[in-house]
Formats: sequence, C-alpha cells, structure tokens
Amino acid sequence: MKKQGGIIWALIVLSLAILCISCRGKSGCSAISGEDPHMTTKGTIEVTARLVEIPEGAIFKRELYDYATILKYQVFKVHRGQIQGDTIFVGHYNPFKPRSEAPDRRVKEIGGNLRVFEAGQIHRMALQVPIEDCFMGGIVNKYFGQDTGPIYWAVWTNLAKE
Amino acid sequence: MRRPRIVDVVVTVGFVLALCSAGAIQTFIELCRGQRLQALDIFRQKPSAANVRAYEKNLEDFSWVSQKLRHRMQYLQYVMLNDAGEKALPGLDGWMFYKPGVEYLVAGGRAITKAKVGPDPLAAIAEFQDELALRGIRLLVVPVPNKESVYPEKLTSRAANLHGIRSGQTSDLLDRLSLAGVETVDLFAEFAQAKQRQTNPADGPLYLVQDSHWSPSGVAVAARAVVSRLLNRGWIGLGSVSYDTKLAPVQRIGDVLRMLQVPEIEQTASPESISCLQVIHPDSGMPYRDDPESEILVIGDSFLRIYETDEPESAGLIAHLAKELKRPLTSLVSDGGASTLVRQELYRRPALLKNKRVVIWEFVERDIEFGAEGWQIIPLPPVPSGTVEKSSGENGP
Repeated sequence: MKKQGGIIWALIVLSLAILCISCRGKSGCSAISGEDPHMTTKGTIEVTARLVEIPEGAIFKRELYDYATILKYQVFKVHRGQIQGDTIFVGHYNPFKPRSEAPDRRVKEIGGNLRVFEAGQIHRMALQVPIEDCFMGGIVNKYFGQDTGPIYWAVWTNLAKE
Repeated sequence: MRRPRIVDVVVTVGFVLALCSAGAIQTFIELCRGQRLQALDIFRQKPSAANVRAYEKNLEDFSWVSQKLRHRMQYLQYVMLNDAGEKALPGLDGWMFYKPGVEYLVAGGRAITKAKVGPDPLAAIAEFQDELALRGIRLLVVPVPNKESVYPEKLTSRAANLHGIRSGQTSDLLDRLSLAGVETVDLFAEFAQAKQRQTNPADGPLYLVQDSHWSPSGVAVAARAVVSRLLNRGWIGLGSVSYDTKLAPVQRIGDVLRMLQVPEIEQTASPESISCLQVIHPDSGMPYRDDPESEILVIGDSFLRIYETDEPESAGLIAHLAKELKRPLTSLVSDGGASTLVRQELYRRPALLKNKRVVIWEFVERDIEFGAEGWQIIPLPPVPSGTVEKSSGENGP
C-alpha cells in the first residue's frame, strides 16, 4: 500500500516537472515579443493581436487543395502601418500547417514560428491588405456576410505575448 | 506445462513499451527542441468536445513517429492488400478512384436523406439564377460527372456492361433543377454517348487513369456540349476570333496518387502521358488568355483549372470553350470550392460581372454532397458604380 502511494506521488511530481519544463519552451509560455527581422520588414502593417476564436470547421487538414482561412483578432498594439478598428479579420494560408511549413510553390512569401493555431493565443503578425491583392485562391470565410471590413493577409505570424 | 515467467515479462514489457513509445519519443523530441509539450495542451483549454477532437487531431498530425512510419505502413498495406487508405480506391487495370466520390455514388438514398438535412443545392442555385436574371444575365449549370459515374466498369468487373451510372442524389437534383427552370447541361448523357462512339482505343478515355479529373478528350466533349447548348438557346452568338490549337503533351502524376502522400507509391508509379491541345491566338501564336470584358463568365472548380492554369496552360475547358465560341471568356476558379467558395470570391470581385450576359457554373457531381462550406445562399456583389443594371427583358435572343 505504502509502495503504491509512493508511485502515485512520484508520477504527480514527474507530471508537474514536465509541465514546468514545457512552459519554458520557445514557442510556449516564454516571454517573447514575436519580433524578428522578417516581422519588421515584410508586409505593410504589423500588429500584436489575440486570436479571438477558431470557428468550427475552419481549420482542418486538407488533402488536395490549398485554402486561406479567415480568423478574427482583437488587436492590442499596432507596431507599423494603420488598421481600421480594434477587431480585424486575417487570412492565413493553409492554417493546419505550422507557419514555417506553409509556404509552397504558389504562396512563397509567408512564414513565422507559430506551430498550431489556438483560440486565445497572442500573435504578432506582419500583414498586407486587402487579401484580394495578395492571394488568388479559395478563401474559407466563416464570417462571410458579417461586417468584417477589409480582410488582411498574414505574411508572417509569430507566437507572442501581450 | 507452465510457461516460463520470462515470457510473460517480455510480452508485458514489450506491450507497454509499444503503447508508450510514441508518446515518450514525442516528449523527448519536443524537450530537445525546446518546444512546448503538445501532450499537455489538453490542460490549456476548456475540455469541450471540439477542443478534445482538435487536441487528438493535432497529436496525430504532429507525431514524429506517425510522420516517420505512416507512409511506410501505407505502402505495405497498398502493396500487400491493394488497400490505398482513406482517400483512394484502386480499380481495375491500374485505375485509381477518389474514395469520397465512390461513397457518394454508392450511398444512394442514404445520401439524399442526409443532404436534405444540410443546405439544399437547389435553393442556392435558384437564388443565384434569380439574382443574375435581375441583371439580365443567364445561368447555365454544368454538373461534371464523377469519374466512377462514367467508368464504373473500371471500378468493378460487375459493372462491365454499364456505360455510366448516375447516383440517386444527382438524378434528384437534376430533376429538381429542371422543374425549377434552371438550364443544365447533361454531361452524363454526353459522356455515355461519347464512350459508345469511341471505337479507336487510341482516342483514350474521357478521364485520367490515376487522377480524379477528365482527360483532354473529356474536356473536348464537355466544351462542345456547353457551346452547343448556348448556341441552341440563342443566349450568345459566335465571336470572330478563330483560335488555333497546337499539341502540348504533358506528363502528370495523378492527384489520387498524390493525395495518398506515400512517396514510395509516387516513385513507383509512371506518370500518365497526356496529349493536350493548347488553344493559341491565331495572329500572335500566344496561348489563350481571358478577357475581363467578355460577355461570358465561367465559374467552377479544379475541372476548370486542370490543363488551364496547370501545365501545359490554356488547354482546359475555359480555353476550349473560347475556341468553340470564337471569343475569349472571363473565368473564376476555386479548387474544390464550386459550391459556395467561388460565389463568395465573386462577391469580393464585382468587376468580374461587368458586361456579362451569361454565367456558366461548373461543379463536380460529388460536391452536391461534399462541397466545401456546403451550398450557402450568397448574394451577388453590389453593382459597381457607373454600371447600369439591365432588366431581364434586355437579354435578347
């Protein structure tokens, strides 16, 4: 009995240790601004914003075709350029892929260190506007019909903190 | 006779190792790379059904073990069991089929019942037609048969005597479109007749062997059928550009093979040799190019893209429609998105409707059920300033 209790405590301590280590990761909870040379030179607008939500069915692995998906952001800070309002809608190309693996033959000039899109994350992004001038292809827009204003095109996306 | 205890231990330890190894290796790799431990993401979000599903999916997609081993296992499965996985179905004589298309075909009544739960294609198409009519624009709908609907005999020898099949759901939609006064081109009948006419094996099939799309022969049949309907209805007349064609052979690894994402299968497969006819301008010899001022807009999916913006370019349905009509067209293509996404794109690009008298709307048959984003009702874009809307009476003969 005593031996079993020891094993359980050991597992709890091990889990906590792993949790602490994981939070020190580069792209996780570490204090990062998301700034890098790509971020400050690409696009015409640069913001730090919170990803408000991921609508159901917006992001999943697509077998054949490449789409951009529109996501909603709450902007905290505009580092460069100008935006309309605090809420913006941003198109990400093939968001089921890590940003570093997203560029392809068709869309070359995108990237960043973000691996997985999750609601509530803070992203620092270099943007272009409007998306129609940057991307000619399928756009999955779950906000179609709502007043989204101009839709931005994400050129570079890094995980950041507020 | 009592089994040695060592066997029990080895089996048990081996089983536990096999169970835990993927997670342990992933954790080790993420720690070495200084990345966040993905396994703990479950504690970082609300435990909703959607979040748990997304968590499981992310674990699977980003697993190092899965990425390294999956394609090898799939290759073995393909070679030993002729099983190509979730997305592809090997047929006869090297033919490959897109599995969701086959499922659409065989689902029959079940598919119809399911479709009635979601948005109805008829409502979206009829609404689109009505809005176009208010601007004096005609709509021609062109559902493209799935490959397995045209070549069921390549799927199974039990369909050897069939020249083509139409699923219950497709027939149902075509009937209802007809009742609603929507003009459609029946490519099922056109392809069935074309197959029967083909006596020379050198003509080649109407669809590609390894790919889900049509061949240049299929493109030619479809182009003639669409143009014939436009001319018969008197919606548009022939133009004055006598386009030429030139042979443009290409080699292509089929999309059904590529979507398996098993490099070993792609490497062992020979690319399909395809004899395309590229449409060229009679004076300059340059490949066909769209004209945004054209009176005809073609919208659709990858059946428009293949050979047109894919290599060899200007040899797809759009270019061949232009050749048959002797006039350039305007086009808008959304891969896999002909049900809704292409009309959303049209909404964002109102200039594409400028000067139009006819819209040709192509979509592949399986999108009746599986179209990306369903069949939403999408309004037409506002009329660009300075453009006067025509009444439907101005359509002319």
